[in-house]
Amino acid sequence: MVALLESNFIFESLVKFAETSGFGAFFAEGGWKYLVMIALACFLLYLAIKKQFEPLLLLPIAFGMLLTNLPGADMFHPTLFDEGQIDWYDLYKTGGLLDFLYLGVKLGIYPCLIFVGVGAMTDFGPLIANPKSFLLGAAAQLGIFATFLGAYALGFEPNECGSIGIIGGADGPTSIFLTARLAPELLGPIAIAAYSYMALVPVIQPPIMRALTTDKERRIKMSQLRQVSKTEKILFPIIIAIVISLLLPSAAPLVGCLMLGNLIKECGVVDRLSKTVQNELMNIVVIFLGISVGATATAASFLNVKTLGILVLGILAFSCGSAGGVLLAKFMNLFAKEGNKINPLIGSAGVSAVPMAARVSQTVGQEYDKSNFLLMHAMGPNVAGVVGSAVAAGILLAFLG
Amino acid sequence: MDKLANAGWSEMLLMALIGFLLVFAVLVLLIFVMKGMGWFFTRDRKPKAAAVTSSEPALDHAISDQEIAAAIITALKLYKSNLHDQESEMLTINRITRAYSPWNSKIHGLTQVPEKK
Repeated sequence: MVALLESNFIFESLVKFAETSGFGAFFAEGGWKYLVMIALACFLLYLAIKKQFEPLLLLPIAFGMLLTNLPGADMFHPTLFDEGQIDWYDLYKTGGLLDFLYLGVKLGIYPCLIFVGVGAMTDFGPLIANPKSFLLGAAAQLGIFATFLGAYALGFEPNECGSIGIIGGADGPTSIFLTARLAPELLGPIAIAAYSYMALVPVIQPPIMRALTTDKERRIKMSQLRQVSKTEKILFPIIIAIVISLLLPSAAPLVGCLMLGNLIKECGVVDRLSKTVQNELMNIVVIFLGISVGATATAASFLNVKTLGILVLGILAFSCGSAGGVLLAKFMNLFAKEGNKINPLIGSAGVSAVPMAARVSQTVGQEYDKSNFLLMHAMGPNVAGVVGSAVAAGILLAFLG
Repeated sequence: MDKLANAGWSEMLLMALIGFLLVFAVLVLLIFVMKGMGWFFTRDRKPKAAAVTSSEPALDHAISDQEIAAAIITALKLYKSNLHDQESEMLTINRITRAYSPWNSKIHGLTQVPEKK
């Protein structure tokens, strides 16, 4: 015993233990980065839980981020997915839970499954009743292509520009789907920017909507939408899936899954499947997607100037998209007859963010006229935006993939 | 991807412009497809609507105008809420005859106290 104490064996063992623990890693070179990332993950958890910013996705993303940045835990191994390739042998030998869950992102499985659920929860009736809404959905994609150029101006590579630009589509699954293919190393910052700004739609959009419209325009009352028959609702997903997949095969996975989900809902003969994709399947995939996307936000990939650039460009993308929709609605009014005019406030709903962007149009419209109900009119461009952003993703993939 | 590594501003601008126009083109095509579908499914409804319009134009207009409909409903509600019930002031005793049944028999419903003899 005395000999042991004299040889400082216990002290050395304790020091060794402290060095190998996660706490020891904080004091090693570059250890501060882990602390910053853990603090950031906790801040995102606070936003998700206390402020309820897109909590369904932000919470698992933030927790995945927390797990991946605990030094020594080695929960996620980005080296297994270096240079866009999957190292199957090492994955089998050393891969952990997060590595295997990440395969769903890497192979583009989760975004497509989420789109099945989104399709099953979306009513395309307002869009079928007023197909002109497709134009507003297209105009709101201005944010994607403006940001694409903005990212290039900041020095990003063309494939990275495509991934950053798609944030302007305000569609999380589409952003993840495209980024996993074009610039997987940017997946963490892009997913976090996309979902954070989606939660901030009620803050970002109203000032833009007010700045671009006059008081008279905000009070425009739109004529009631026609009733859409069940047959039309059933035919819509089938026709859209065929037309878009033939025109743009690269957009087929997203649009096809979206329309499959919608057909499951509208056909009315597979209620069990409809309930499953809207609830159980969607919830399970959201958990897997959130954790694995959060896991990609390691200190090395997140704490750099590029992330800052992505966050700045993300807000530019949302703003340009919202402005594009409003401006096109104003332009369309130049040719519309009295009584057929469009309230430009619904144009901003062309960024997908379903249904939050449509709710923002309704709220801002009611600030100026309590009897003006824009929600159903805004749902048209809103769901058109989902189709539009999937089409834009397909185009970018065809150009840059 | 390799070709794009050396892409300059002109290529990027062209790509953004073509991409944006393609999104528009695809969605404009969908507008025509949807308009065609809408026309197909509403063509039977329109002649009926036109017939009603020609025979009773004023009524059709009034019914389609939600505000006027709301005003009529409100006026009717106010009118009805101001009405008082008018009683006939006649009291009558109506005899009700029921078919006998042990279930509605009064004598069977009462507790029969046993008599001491």
